[in-house]
Amino acid sequence: MKVKNLSFSYNQKPFIENLNIEFKENQITTIIGSNGSGKSTLLMLLSRLYKPQEGNIEIDVQNIWNYKIKDFAKKVAVVHQKNQIYGDQDVKTIVGYGRLPYLHYAQKLTQEDYEIIDWALEVTNLKEYQNRTLKSLSGGQQQRVWIAMALAQKTPYLLLDEPTTYLDIRYQLELLRLLKEINQKYKITIIMVLHDINQAIQYSDNIIAMKKGRIIVEGKAKEVITSEVIREVYRIDLKMTQLSKQPYVFTV
Amino acid sequence: MKTIKKHPFIFIASLVVLLGITFFIAINTGTIKVSFIQLLKGLFVEYNKDVASVYQIRFPRVIVTMLVGCALALSGLLFQVVLKNPLADPGIIGISAGAQIVSLLVGIFLPELYTIKPILTCLGGLIAFFLIYSLSWKSGLKTTRIILVGVAIHYTITAMISFIESISSSISSSTSSVILYTWNDVQLLIIYILPILIILCFLTKACDLLVLEDRTLLSLGINVNLYRFMISLLAVLLCSVSVAIAGVLSFVGLLVPHLAHLFVGNKHSYLLPACGLLGAIILLMADTVGRVIIAPYEIAPAILMALIGGPLFIVLLKRSSMHES
Repeated sequence: MKVKNLSFSYNQKPFIENLNIEFKENQITTIIGSNGSGKSTLLMLLSRLYKPQEGNIEIDVQNIWNYKIKDFAKKVAVVHQKNQIYGDQDVKTIVGYGRLPYLHYAQKLTQEDYEIIDWALEVTNLKEYQNRTLKSLSGGQQQRVWIAMALAQKTPYLLLDEPTTYLDIRYQLELLRLLKEINQKYKITIIMVLHDINQAIQYSDNIIAMKKGRIIVEGKAKEVITSEVIREVYRIDLKMTQLSKQPYVFTV
Repeated sequence: MKTIKKHPFIFIASLVVLLGITFFIAINTGTIKVSFIQLLKGLFVEYNKDVASVYQIRFPRVIVTMLVGCALALSGLLFQVVLKNPLADPGIIGISAGAQIVSLLVGIFLPELYTIKPILTCLGGLIAFFLIYSLSWKSGLKTTRIILVGVAIHYTITAMISFIESISSSISSSTSSVILYTWNDVQLLIIYILPILIILCFLTKACDLLVLEDRTLLSLGINVNLYRFMISLLAVLLCSVSVAIAGVLSFVGLLVPHLAHLFVGNKHSYLLPACGLLGAIILLMADTVGRVIIAPYEIAPAILMALIGGPLFIVLLKRSSMHES
Protein backbone atom coordinates (compact mmCIF):
# COMPACT_ATOMS: atom_id res chain seq x y z
CA MET A 1 0.00 0.00 0.00
CA LYS A 2 1.46 3.31 -1.11
CA VAL A 3 0.42 6.85 -0.33
CA LYS A 4 1.54 9.39 -2.93
CA ASN A 5 1.35 13.20 -2.58
CA LEU A 6 -1.82 12.91 -0.54
CA SER A 7 -3.65 16.10 0.43
CA PHE A 8 -6.86 16.38 2.37
CA SER A 9 -8.70 19.35 3.81
CA TYR A 10 -11.59 19.69 6.25
CA ASN A 11 -14.03 22.42 5.23
CA GLN A 12 -11.49 24.03 2.88
CA LYS A 13 -8.85 24.11 5.62
CA PRO A 14 -5.82 22.12 4.47
CA PHE A 15 -5.12 19.42 7.02
CA ILE A 16 -2.93 16.82 5.42
CA GLU A 17 -0.59 18.15 2.75
CA ASN A 18 1.56 16.24 0.35
CA LEU A 19 1.92 13.07 2.38
CA ASN A 20 4.03 10.16 1.12
CA ILE A 21 4.29 6.79 2.84
CA GLU A 22 4.88 3.23 1.82
CA PHE A 23 3.36 0.64 4.12
CA LYS A 24 5.44 -2.53 4.27
CA GLU A 25 3.57 -5.64 3.19
CA ASN A 26 2.94 -8.44 5.70
CA GLN A 27 4.01 -6.26 8.60
CA ILE A 28 2.31 -4.34 11.38
CA THR A 29 2.58 -0.59 11.05
CA THR A 30 1.28 1.59 13.85
CA ILE A 31 0.50 5.27 13.50
CA ILE A 32 0.92 7.32 16.67
CA GLY A 33 0.45 11.00 17.40
CA SER A 34 -1.31 13.42 19.70
CA ASN A 35 -5.01 14.19 19.46
CA GLY A 36 -5.75 16.00 16.23
CA SER A 37 -2.48 14.96 14.64
CA GLY A 38 -4.27 13.47 11.66
CA LYS A 39 -3.62 9.81 12.46
CA SER A 40 -7.27 8.80 12.41
CA THR A 41 -7.89 10.97 9.36
CA LEU A 42 -5.11 9.14 7.58
CA LEU A 43 -6.69 5.82 8.49
CA MET A 44 -10.05 7.04 7.19
CA LEU A 45 -8.37 8.04 3.94
CA LEU A 46 -6.72 4.62 3.66
CA SER A 47 -10.05 2.89 4.27
CA ARG A 48 -11.77 5.03 1.61
CA LEU A 49 -14.17 6.62 4.08
CA TYR A 50 -12.73 10.07 3.27
CA LYS A 51 -11.85 11.12 -0.24
CA PRO A 52 -8.57 12.99 -0.69
CA GLN A 53 -8.60 16.22 -2.68
CA GLU A 54 -5.26 15.42 -4.24
CA GLY A 55 -2.87 12.52 -4.52
CA ASN A 56 -3.29 8.79 -4.61
CA ILE A 57 -3.45 5.80 -2.35
CA GLU A 58 -2.47 2.72 -4.27
CA ILE A 59 -2.98 -0.97 -3.72
CA ASP A 60 -1.38 -3.22 -6.33
CA VAL A 61 -0.44 -0.17 -8.41
CA GLN A 62 -4.06 0.90 -8.66
CA ASN A 63 -5.71 3.92 -7.05
CA ILE A 64 -8.08 2.68 -4.34
CA TRP A 65 -10.82 4.93 -5.69
CA ASN A 66 -10.71 3.05 -8.98
CA TYR A 67 -11.76 -0.18 -7.31
CA LYS A 68 -15.42 -1.10 -7.30
CA ILE A 69 -16.82 -0.76 -3.78
CA LYS A 70 -17.09 -4.56 -3.42
CA ASP A 71 -13.63 -5.21 -4.83
CA PHE A 72 -12.14 -2.74 -2.39
CA ALA A 73 -13.90 -4.58 0.44
CA LYS A 74 -12.08 -7.72 -0.70
CA LYS A 75 -8.75 -5.90 -0.31
CA VAL A 76 -9.15 -3.88 2.87
CA ALA A 77 -11.07 -4.62 6.09
CA VAL A 78 -11.60 -1.96 8.74
CA VAL A 79 -12.24 -2.15 12.48
CA HIS A 80 -13.21 1.05 14.25
CA GLN A 81 -12.64 2.24 17.78
CA LYS A 82 -16.28 1.80 18.71
CA ASN A 83 -18.72 -0.16 16.63
CA GLN A 84 -22.44 -0.08 17.04
CA ILE A 85 -25.24 -2.25 15.91
CA TYR A 86 -28.93 -1.43 16.29
CA GLY A 87 -30.47 -4.72 17.30
CA ASP A 88 -29.72 -8.02 18.97
CA GLN A 89 -27.91 -10.02 16.29
CA ASP A 90 -25.89 -13.01 17.37
CA VAL A 91 -22.15 -13.23 16.95
CA LYS A 92 -22.24 -15.69 14.07
CA THR A 93 -24.58 -13.47 12.04
CA ILE A 94 -22.35 -10.46 12.52
CA VAL A 95 -19.20 -12.34 11.58
CA GLY A 96 -21.14 -13.60 8.56
CA TYR A 97 -21.56 -10.00 7.36
CA GLY A 98 -17.85 -10.20 6.57
CA ARG A 99 -18.77 -12.35 3.58
CA LEU A 100 -20.96 -9.64 2.03
CA PRO A 101 -18.33 -8.43 -0.46
CA TYR A 102 -18.43 -11.88 -2.05
CA LEU A 103 -22.19 -12.18 -2.37
CA HIS A 104 -24.80 -10.75 -4.69
CA TYR A 105 -27.75 -9.04 -3.09
CA ALA A 106 -30.05 -12.03 -2.85
CA GLN A 107 -27.34 -14.67 -2.55
CA LYS A 108 -27.21 -16.90 0.52
CA LEU A 109 -24.05 -17.95 2.34
CA THR A 110 -22.44 -21.01 0.81
CA GLN A 111 -20.69 -23.91 2.52
CA GLU A 112 -17.38 -22.20 1.81
CA ASP A 113 -18.59 -18.99 3.45
CA TYR A 114 -19.60 -20.92 6.56
CA GLU A 115 -16.17 -22.53 6.71
CA ILE A 116 -14.54 -19.11 6.56
CA ILE A 117 -16.88 -17.78 9.27
CA ASP A 118 -15.96 -20.77 11.43
CA TRP A 119 -12.31 -20.10 10.83
CA ALA A 120 -12.68 -16.43 11.80
CA LEU A 121 -14.52 -17.43 14.99
CA GLU A 122 -11.80 -19.95 15.78
CA VAL A 123 -8.95 -17.50 15.29
CA THR A 124 -10.58 -14.90 17.51
CA ASN A 125 -11.50 -17.48 20.15
CA LEU A 126 -15.21 -16.83 19.85
CA LYS A 127 -16.39 -20.33 18.97
CA GLU A 128 -18.22 -20.81 22.27
CA TYR A 129 -19.97 -17.44 22.00
CA GLN A 130 -21.15 -17.78 18.42
CA ASN A 131 -24.83 -18.04 19.32
CA ARG A 132 -24.80 -15.33 21.97
CA THR A 133 -25.99 -11.83 21.10
CA LEU A 134 -23.32 -9.20 20.68
CA LYS A 135 -24.73 -7.10 23.49
CA SER A 136 -24.38 -9.91 26.02
CA LEU A 137 -20.60 -9.97 25.54
CA SER A 138 -17.92 -7.94 27.30
CA GLY A 139 -16.23 -5.00 25.59
CA GLY A 140 -13.14 -7.03 24.77
CA GLN A 141 -15.16 -9.86 23.32
CA GLN A 142 -17.26 -7.43 21.28
CA GLN A 143 -14.15 -5.92 19.75
CA ARG A 144 -13.01 -9.44 18.86
CA VAL A 145 -16.31 -10.00 17.07
CA TRP A 146 -15.63 -7.00 14.83
CA ILE A 147 -12.14 -8.29 14.17
CA ALA A 148 -13.60 -11.70 13.30
CA MET A 149 -15.96 -9.98 10.86
CA ALA A 150 -13.02 -8.20 9.28
CA LEU A 151 -11.12 -11.51 9.06
CA ALA A 152 -14.08 -13.15 7.34
CA GLN A 153 -13.62 -10.56 4.60
CA LYS A 154 -10.40 -12.44 3.75
CA THR A 155 -8.50 -9.29 2.86
CA PRO A 156 -4.74 -8.83 2.55
CA TYR A 157 -5.02 -5.58 4.57
CA LEU A 158 -6.56 -4.98 7.98
CA LEU A 159 -6.92 -1.41 9.28
CA LEU A 160 -7.77 -0.66 12.90
CA ASP A 161 -8.56 2.71 14.44
CA GLU A 162 -7.60 2.71 18.14
CA PRO A 163 -8.99 -0.79 18.64
CA THR A 164 -8.00 -0.93 22.33
CA THR A 165 -9.31 2.42 23.54
CA TYR A 166 -12.33 1.20 25.45
CA LEU A 167 -10.75 -1.97 26.84
CA ASP A 168 -9.09 -2.65 30.15
CA ILE A 169 -5.43 -3.64 30.21
CA ARG A 170 -6.00 -7.40 30.05
CA TYR A 171 -8.25 -7.14 27.00
CA GLN A 172 -5.89 -4.63 25.41
CA LEU A 173 -3.01 -7.07 25.53
CA GLU A 174 -5.20 -9.99 24.50
CA LEU A 175 -6.29 -8.04 21.44
CA LEU A 176 -2.81 -6.89 20.48
CA ARG A 177 -1.48 -10.46 20.81
CA LEU A 178 -4.31 -11.63 18.62
CA LEU A 179 -3.41 -9.05 15.99
CA LYS A 180 0.25 -10.13 16.12
CA GLU A 181 -0.83 -13.73 15.64
CA ILE A 182 -3.10 -12.84 12.73
CA ASN A 183 -0.28 -10.92 11.12
CA GLN A 184 2.30 -13.69 11.52
CA LYS A 185 0.16 -16.73 10.79
CA TYR A 186 -1.95 -15.43 7.94
CA LYS A 187 0.39 -12.81 6.49
CA ILE A 188 -2.17 -10.03 6.76
CA THR A 189 -0.76 -6.51 6.57
CA ILE A 190 -1.98 -4.56 9.58
CA ILE A 191 -2.09 -0.78 9.77
CA MET A 192 -3.45 0.66 12.99
CA VAL A 193 -3.66 3.70 15.19
CA LEU A 194 -2.71 3.27 18.85
CA HIS A 195 -2.50 5.64 21.79
CA ASP A 196 -0.11 3.70 23.97
CA ILE A 197 3.48 4.28 22.84
CA ASN A 198 4.89 1.22 24.62
CA GLN A 199 2.26 -1.04 23.12
CA ALA A 200 3.06 0.41 19.72
CA ILE A 201 6.77 -0.37 20.23
CA GLN A 202 6.08 -3.87 21.54
CA TYR A 203 3.55 -5.05 19.00
CA SER A 204 4.43 -3.40 15.71
CA ASP A 205 7.17 -3.74 13.14
CA ASN A 206 7.05 -0.12 12.05
CA ILE A 207 5.90 3.12 13.63
CA ILE A 208 4.82 6.31 11.95
CA ALA A 209 4.62 9.34 14.23
CA MET A 210 2.40 12.21 13.09
CA LYS A 211 1.81 15.78 14.12
CA LYS A 212 -0.46 18.38 12.50
CA GLY A 213 -1.02 16.28 9.42
CA ARG A 214 2.68 15.69 8.80
CA ILE A 215 4.88 12.70 9.43
CA ILE A 216 7.56 13.45 12.02
CA VAL A 217 9.39 10.13 11.84
CA GLU A 218 8.85 6.70 10.43
CA GLY A 219 10.86 3.53 10.74
CA LYS A 220 11.41 0.33 12.70
CA ALA A 221 9.38 0.28 15.90
CA LYS A 222 12.30 -0.61 18.13
CA GLU A 223 14.47 2.19 16.73
CA VAL A 224 12.52 5.33 15.95
CA ILE A 225 11.15 6.28 19.34
CA THR A 226 13.46 8.62 21.23
CA SER A 227 12.88 11.31 23.85
CA GLU A 228 13.29 13.94 21.13
CA VAL A 229 10.62 12.32 18.96
CA ILE A 230 8.22 12.17 21.88
CA ARG A 231 8.86 15.80 22.76
CA GLU A 232 8.25 16.75 19.14
CA VAL A 233 5.09 14.68 18.73
CA TYR A 234 3.37 15.04 22.09
CA ARG A 235 5.09 18.19 23.39
CA ILE A 236 5.94 16.57 26.69
CA ASP A 237 9.20 15.39 28.23
CA LEU A 238 9.13 11.73 29.17
CA LYS A 239 11.92 9.56 30.54
CA MET A 240 12.98 6.55 28.56
CA THR A 241 14.94 3.42 29.31
CA GLN A 242 15.81 0.10 27.74
CA LEU A 243 13.75 -2.85 28.87
CA SER A 244 14.45 -6.34 27.50
CA LYS A 245 16.44 -4.79 24.67
CA GLN A 246 13.81 -2.38 23.49
CA PRO A 247 12.94 1.19 24.34
CA TYR A 248 10.44 1.80 27.11
CA VAL A 249 8.75 5.11 27.77
CA PHE A 250 7.69 6.11 31.28
CA THR A 251 4.24 7.44 30.65
CA VAL A 252 3.58 8.48 34.22
CA MET B 1 -42.69 -13.70 24.61
CA LYS B 2 -39.65 -15.94 24.15
CA THR B 3 -41.67 -18.82 22.77
CA ILE B 4 -43.34 -16.49 20.29
CA LYS B 5 -39.94 -15.25 19.19
CA LYS B 6 -38.87 -18.80 18.45
CA HIS B 7 -41.81 -19.37 16.12
CA PRO B 8 -42.32 -16.12 14.27
CA PHE B 9 -43.97 -17.92 11.39
CA ILE B 10 -46.78 -19.23 13.58
CA PHE B 11 -47.21 -15.78 15.06
CA ILE B 12 -47.60 -14.25 11.60
CA ALA B 13 -50.05 -16.95 10.57
CA SER B 14 -52.14 -16.29 13.67
CA LEU B 15 -52.10 -12.58 12.85
CA VAL B 16 -53.61 -13.41 9.47
CA VAL B 17 -56.37 -15.36 11.20
CA LEU B 18 -56.89 -12.56 13.71
CA LEU B 19 -57.15 -10.04 10.89
CA GLY B 20 -59.80 -12.24 9.23
CA ILE B 21 -61.81 -12.38 12.46
CA THR B 22 -61.46 -8.65 13.09
CA PHE B 23 -62.54 -8.01 9.51
CA PHE B 24 -65.69 -10.06 9.93
CA ILE B 25 -66.54 -8.44 13.27
CA ALA B 26 -65.97 -4.99 11.78
CA ILE B 27 -68.20 -5.77 8.82
CA ASN B 28 -70.88 -6.92 11.21
CA THR B 29 -70.73 -4.05 13.64
CA GLY B 30 -73.44 -1.44 13.39
CA THR B 31 -77.18 -1.24 12.96
CA ILE B 32 -77.38 -3.79 10.15
CA LYS B 33 -76.32 -7.31 11.05
CA VAL B 34 -75.56 -10.12 8.63
CA SER B 35 -74.42 -13.62 9.41
CA PHE B 36 -71.38 -15.11 7.74
CA ILE B 37 -73.48 -17.33 5.47
CA GLN B 38 -75.83 -14.49 4.61
CA LEU B 39 -72.83 -12.41 3.74
CA LEU B 40 -71.30 -14.99 1.41
CA LYS B 41 -74.69 -15.64 -0.19
CA GLY B 42 -75.39 -11.93 -0.62
CA LEU B 43 -72.00 -11.28 -2.11
CA PHE B 44 -71.74 -14.12 -4.55
CA VAL B 45 -75.16 -15.76 -5.04
CA GLU B 46 -78.23 -13.58 -4.79
CA TYR B 47 -79.07 -9.93 -4.07
CA ASN B 48 -79.71 -9.09 -0.44
CA LYS B 49 -80.58 -5.55 0.60
CA ASP B 50 -78.68 -5.69 3.90
CA VAL B 51 -75.60 -7.22 2.37
CA ALA B 52 -75.67 -4.67 -0.44
CA SER B 53 -75.64 -1.72 1.92
CA VAL B 54 -72.94 -3.34 4.03
CA TYR B 55 -70.98 -3.85 0.83
CA GLN B 56 -71.40 -0.23 -0.27
CA ILE B 57 -70.72 1.46 3.06
CA ARG B 58 -68.90 -0.75 5.50
CA PHE B 59 -66.61 -2.69 3.18
CA PRO B 60 -64.80 0.37 1.84
CA ARG B 61 -64.37 1.80 5.29
CA VAL B 62 -63.03 -1.42 6.74
CA ILE B 63 -60.68 -2.07 3.86
CA VAL B 64 -59.37 1.50 3.80
CA THR B 65 -58.76 1.34 7.54
CA MET B 66 -56.85 -1.92 7.21
CA LEU B 67 -54.70 -0.70 4.34
CA VAL B 68 -53.95 2.60 6.02
CA GLY B 69 -53.04 0.88 9.28
CA CYS B 70 -50.73 -1.47 7.42
CA ALA B 71 -49.12 1.31 5.37
CA LEU B 72 -48.53 3.61 8.33
CA ALA B 73 -47.09 0.87 10.51
CA LEU B 74 -44.69 -0.16 7.76
CA SER B 75 -43.80 3.42 7.01
CA GLY B 76 -42.88 3.94 10.67
CA LEU B 77 -40.79 0.80 10.72
CA LEU B 78 -38.92 1.75 7.56
CA PHE B 79 -38.16 5.23 8.89
CA GLN B 80 -36.84 3.69 12.09
CA VAL B 81 -34.60 1.41 10.05
CA VAL B 82 -33.33 4.10 7.70
CA LEU B 83 -32.78 6.79 10.31
CA LYS B 84 -31.57 4.29 12.95
CA ASN B 85 -33.82 5.95 15.42
CA PRO B 86 -36.58 4.32 17.44
CA LEU B 87 -38.42 7.64 17.58
CA ALA B 88 -38.73 8.08 13.85
CA ASP B 89 -42.43 8.11 13.09
CA PRO B 90 -43.73 9.85 9.97
CA GLY B 91 -46.18 11.75 12.18
CA ILE B 92 -43.45 13.01 14.52
CA ILE B 93 -40.80 13.99 11.99
CA GLY B 94 -43.07 15.99 9.72
CA ILE B 95 -43.50 13.67 6.74
CA SER B 96 -47.24 13.32 7.33
CA ALA B 97 -47.52 17.09 7.69
CA GLY B 98 -45.72 17.60 4.39
CA ALA B 99 -48.13 15.23 2.70
CA GLN B 100 -51.10 16.74 4.48
CA ILE B 101 -50.49 20.31 3.39
CA VAL B 102 -50.36 19.23 -0.25
CA SER B 103 -53.46 17.13 0.23
CA LEU B 104 -55.23 20.15 1.71
CA LEU B 105 -54.15 22.49 -1.09
CA VAL B 106 -55.24 20.01 -3.74
CA GLY B 107 -58.57 19.64 -1.97
CA ILE B 108 -59.13 23.40 -2.00
CA PHE B 109 -57.75 24.45 -5.36
CA LEU B 110 -57.66 21.39 -7.60
CA PRO B 111 -60.38 18.99 -6.44
CA GLU B 112 -60.65 17.58 -9.98
CA LEU B 113 -57.21 16.00 -9.57
CA TYR B 114 -58.59 13.42 -7.11
CA THR B 115 -57.10 10.36 -8.85
CA ILE B 116 -53.56 11.66 -8.83
CA LYS B 117 -53.88 13.23 -5.40
CA PRO B 118 -51.77 10.46 -3.82
CA ILE B 119 -48.94 11.28 -6.24
CA LEU B 120 -49.10 14.97 -5.36
CA THR B 121 -49.19 14.30 -1.64
CA CYS B 122 -46.18 12.00 -2.10
CA LEU B 123 -44.38 14.99 -3.52
CA GLY B 124 -45.21 16.89 -0.34
CA GLY B 125 -43.94 14.02 1.79
CA LEU B 126 -40.77 13.76 -0.28
CA ILE B 127 -40.03 17.46 0.02
CA ALA B 128 -40.47 17.27 3.80
CA PHE B 129 -38.18 14.25 3.94
CA PHE B 130 -35.59 15.90 1.73
CA LEU B 131 -35.61 18.94 4.01
CA ILE B 132 -35.17 16.85 7.14
CA TYR B 133 -32.39 14.90 5.54
CA SER B 134 -30.41 17.76 4.13
CA LEU B 135 -30.81 19.89 7.25
CA SER B 136 -29.78 17.17 9.67
CA TRP B 137 -26.89 15.85 7.60
CA LYS B 138 -23.65 17.03 9.09
CA SER B 139 -20.90 14.59 8.23
CA GLY B 140 -23.22 11.68 8.81
CA LEU B 141 -26.61 11.17 10.33
CA LYS B 142 -26.98 12.35 13.88
CA THR B 143 -29.97 10.73 15.46
CA THR B 144 -30.96 13.53 17.78
CA ARG B 145 -30.52 16.10 15.03
CA ILE B 146 -32.95 14.26 12.79
CA ILE B 147 -35.64 14.22 15.43
CA LEU B 148 -35.08 17.87 16.32
CA VAL B 149 -35.13 19.02 12.70
CA GLY B 150 -38.09 16.73 11.98
CA VAL B 151 -40.12 18.04 14.89
CA ALA B 152 -39.35 21.63 13.87
CA ILE B 153 -40.51 20.93 10.33
CA HIS B 154 -43.59 19.18 11.66
CA TYR B 155 -44.61 22.21 13.72
CA THR B 156 -43.84 24.66 10.94
CA ILE B 157 -45.96 22.82 8.40
CA THR B 158 -48.73 22.14 10.90
CA ALA B 159 -48.89 25.87 11.62
CA MET B 160 -49.09 26.56 7.89
CA ILE B 161 -51.95 24.06 7.65
CA SER B 162 -53.88 25.72 10.49
CA PHE B 163 -53.30 29.06 8.80
CA ILE B 164 -54.63 27.86 5.45
CA GLU B 165 -57.59 26.22 7.13
CA SER B 166 -58.51 29.29 9.12
CA ILE B 167 -58.47 31.57 6.08
CA SER B 168 -60.12 29.16 3.69
CA SER B 169 -62.74 28.02 6.25
CA SER B 170 -63.13 24.90 4.19
CA ILE B 171 -63.74 21.51 5.70
CA SER B 172 -60.88 20.59 7.93
CA SER B 173 -58.69 17.81 6.67
CA SER B 174 -56.66 17.57 9.82
CA THR B 175 -59.19 15.53 11.74
CA SER B 176 -58.13 11.99 11.39
CA SER B 177 -61.48 10.29 11.67
CA VAL B 178 -62.13 7.56 9.16
CA ILE B 179 -65.65 8.31 8.10
CA LEU B 180 -67.05 7.91 4.63
CA TYR B 181 -65.16 5.97 2.06
CA THR B 182 -66.18 4.62 -1.29
CA TRP B 183 -64.84 1.78 -3.36
CA ASN B 184 -62.95 4.45 -5.31
CA ASP B 185 -60.81 5.13 -2.27
CA VAL B 186 -60.17 1.43 -1.84
CA GLN B 187 -59.13 1.17 -5.48
CA LEU B 188 -56.79 4.13 -5.23
CA LEU B 189 -55.14 2.79 -2.10
CA ILE B 190 -54.65 -0.65 -3.60
CA ILE B 191 -53.19 0.75 -6.81
CA TYR B 192 -50.61 2.73 -4.88
CA ILE B 193 -49.88 0.49 -1.92
CA LEU B 194 -49.79 -2.99 -3.43
CA PRO B 195 -46.76 -2.38 -5.69
CA ILE B 196 -44.89 -0.88 -2.73
CA LEU B 197 -45.63 -3.94 -0.60
CA ILE B 198 -44.35 -6.21 -3.37
CA ILE B 199 -41.11 -4.23 -3.72
CA LEU B 200 -40.70 -4.37 0.06
CA CYS B 201 -40.55 -8.17 -0.07
CA PHE B 202 -37.25 -7.81 -1.91
CA LEU B 203 -35.84 -5.29 0.52
CA THR B 204 -35.92 -7.30 3.74
CA LYS B 205 -32.21 -8.03 3.46
CA ALA B 206 -31.38 -4.35 2.91
CA CYS B 207 -33.36 -3.55 6.07
CA ASP B 208 -31.47 -6.24 7.98
CA LEU B 209 -28.13 -4.78 6.94
CA LEU B 210 -28.99 -1.21 7.88
CA VAL B 211 -28.63 -2.13 11.56
CA LEU B 212 -24.90 -1.74 10.96
CA GLU B 213 -23.23 1.65 10.95
CA ASP B 214 -22.78 3.35 7.59
CA ARG B 215 -19.00 3.24 7.72
CA THR B 216 -19.08 -0.47 8.55
CA LEU B 217 -21.39 -1.13 5.62
CA LEU B 218 -19.14 0.86 3.30
CA SER B 219 -16.17 -1.20 4.42
CA LEU B 220 -18.19 -4.31 3.62
CA GLY B 221 -18.71 -3.12 0.07
CA ILE B 222 -22.36 -2.16 0.51
CA ASN B 223 -23.77 0.85 -1.29
CA VAL B 224 -25.50 2.26 1.79
CA ASN B 225 -26.85 5.35 0.11
CA LEU B 226 -28.70 3.36 -2.53
CA TYR B 227 -30.33 1.18 0.14
CA ARG B 228 -31.21 4.16 2.22
CA PHE B 229 -32.63 6.05 -0.73
CA MET B 230 -34.89 3.18 -1.80
CA ILE B 231 -36.20 2.42 1.66
CA SER B 232 -36.80 6.08 2.50
CA LEU B 233 -38.64 6.55 -0.76
CA LEU B 234 -40.97 3.63 -0.02
CA ALA B 235 -41.54 4.85 3.55
CA VAL B 236 -42.47 8.33 2.32
CA LEU B 237 -44.79 6.91 -0.33
CA LEU B 238 -46.60 4.62 2.12
CA CYS B 239 -47.17 7.46 4.53
CA SER B 240 -48.18 10.05 1.92
CA VAL B 241 -50.67 7.77 0.17
CA SER B 242 -52.35 7.07 3.51
CA VAL B 243 -52.52 10.76 4.28
CA ALA B 244 -54.01 11.48 0.86
CA ILE B 245 -56.89 9.12 1.54
CA ALA B 246 -57.36 9.07 5.30
CA GLY B 247 -55.68 12.20 6.68
CA VAL B 248 -53.07 12.21 9.39
CA LEU B 249 -53.06 9.38 11.90
CA SER B 250 -50.19 9.60 14.31
CA PHE B 251 -48.87 6.99 16.71
CA VAL B 252 -49.54 3.93 14.51
CA GLY B 253 -46.08 4.29 13.01
CA LEU B 254 -44.50 4.40 16.45
CA LEU B 255 -46.57 1.92 18.43
CA VAL B 256 -46.92 -0.92 15.96
CA PRO B 257 -43.28 -1.39 14.84
CA HIS B 258 -42.17 -1.60 18.46
CA LEU B 259 -44.92 -4.07 19.23
CA ALA B 260 -43.92 -6.20 16.25
CA HIS B 261 -40.32 -5.95 17.38
CA LEU B 262 -41.18 -7.35 20.78
CA PHE B 263 -42.95 -10.30 19.24
CA VAL B 264 -40.76 -11.39 16.36
CA GLY B 265 -37.33 -9.87 16.99
CA ASN B 266 -35.43 -8.01 14.34
CA LYS B 267 -35.29 -10.19 11.27
CA HIS B 268 -37.08 -8.12 8.69
CA SER B 269 -38.42 -11.05 6.73
CA TYR B 270 -40.65 -11.62 9.79
CA LEU B 271 -40.76 -8.10 11.12
CA LEU B 272 -42.19 -6.48 7.98
CA PRO B 273 -45.20 -8.82 7.57
CA ALA B 274 -45.85 -8.87 11.33
CA CYS B 275 -45.73 -5.09 11.45
CA GLY B 276 -48.03 -4.62 8.46
CA LEU B 277 -50.58 -7.11 9.79
CA LEU B 278 -50.51 -5.70 13.33
CA GLY B 279 -51.00 -2.21 11.92
CA ALA B 280 -54.06 -3.32 9.99
CA ILE B 281 -55.52 -5.21 12.96
CA ILE B 282 -54.94 -2.50 15.53
CA LEU B 283 -56.31 0.36 13.47
CA LEU B 284 -59.31 -1.69 12.41
CA MET B 285 -60.03 -2.65 16.03
CA ALA B 286 -59.72 0.97 17.10
CA ASP B 287 -62.04 2.06 14.30
CA THR B 288 -64.62 -0.62 15.05
CA VAL B 289 -64.68 0.00 18.79
CA GLY B 290 -64.84 3.73 18.10
CA ARG B 291 -67.94 3.22 16.01
CA VAL B 292 -69.92 1.38 18.69
CA ILE B 293 -68.70 2.62 22.03
CA ILE B 294 -70.79 5.82 22.09
CA ALA B 295 -73.05 5.14 19.09
CA PRO B 296 -74.58 6.95 17.28
CA TYR B 297 -71.52 9.17 17.74
CA GLU B 298 -68.07 8.04 16.73
CA ILE B 299 -64.65 8.26 18.29
CA ALA B 300 -61.81 8.70 15.80
CA PRO B 301 -59.59 5.61 15.71
CA ALA B 302 -56.49 7.72 16.36
CA ILE B 303 -57.94 8.85 19.69
CA LEU B 304 -58.83 5.37 20.88
CA MET B 305 -55.54 3.99 19.71
CA ALA B 306 -53.59 6.58 21.62
CA LEU B 307 -55.77 6.12 24.71
CA ILE B 308 -55.19 2.38 24.90
CA GLY B 309 -51.95 2.14 22.96
CA GLY B 310 -50.06 4.78 24.92
CA PRO B 311 -50.19 3.12 28.32
CA LEU B 312 -49.80 -0.32 26.74
CA PHE B 313 -46.71 0.88 24.94
CA ILE B 314 -45.17 2.12 28.18
CA VAL B 315 -45.89 -1.17 29.95
CA LEU B 316 -44.30 -3.12 27.11
CA LEU B 317 -41.25 -0.88 27.06
CA LYS B 318 -40.76 -1.31 30.77
CA ARG B 319 -40.86 -5.06 30.42
CA SER B 320 -38.53 -5.30 27.47
CA SER B 321 -34.83 -4.64 27.55
CA MET B 322 -34.78 -3.32 24.02
CA HIS B 323 -33.80 0.28 24.56
CA GLU B 324 -31.69 0.00 27.61
CA SER B 325 -28.24 0.59 26.20
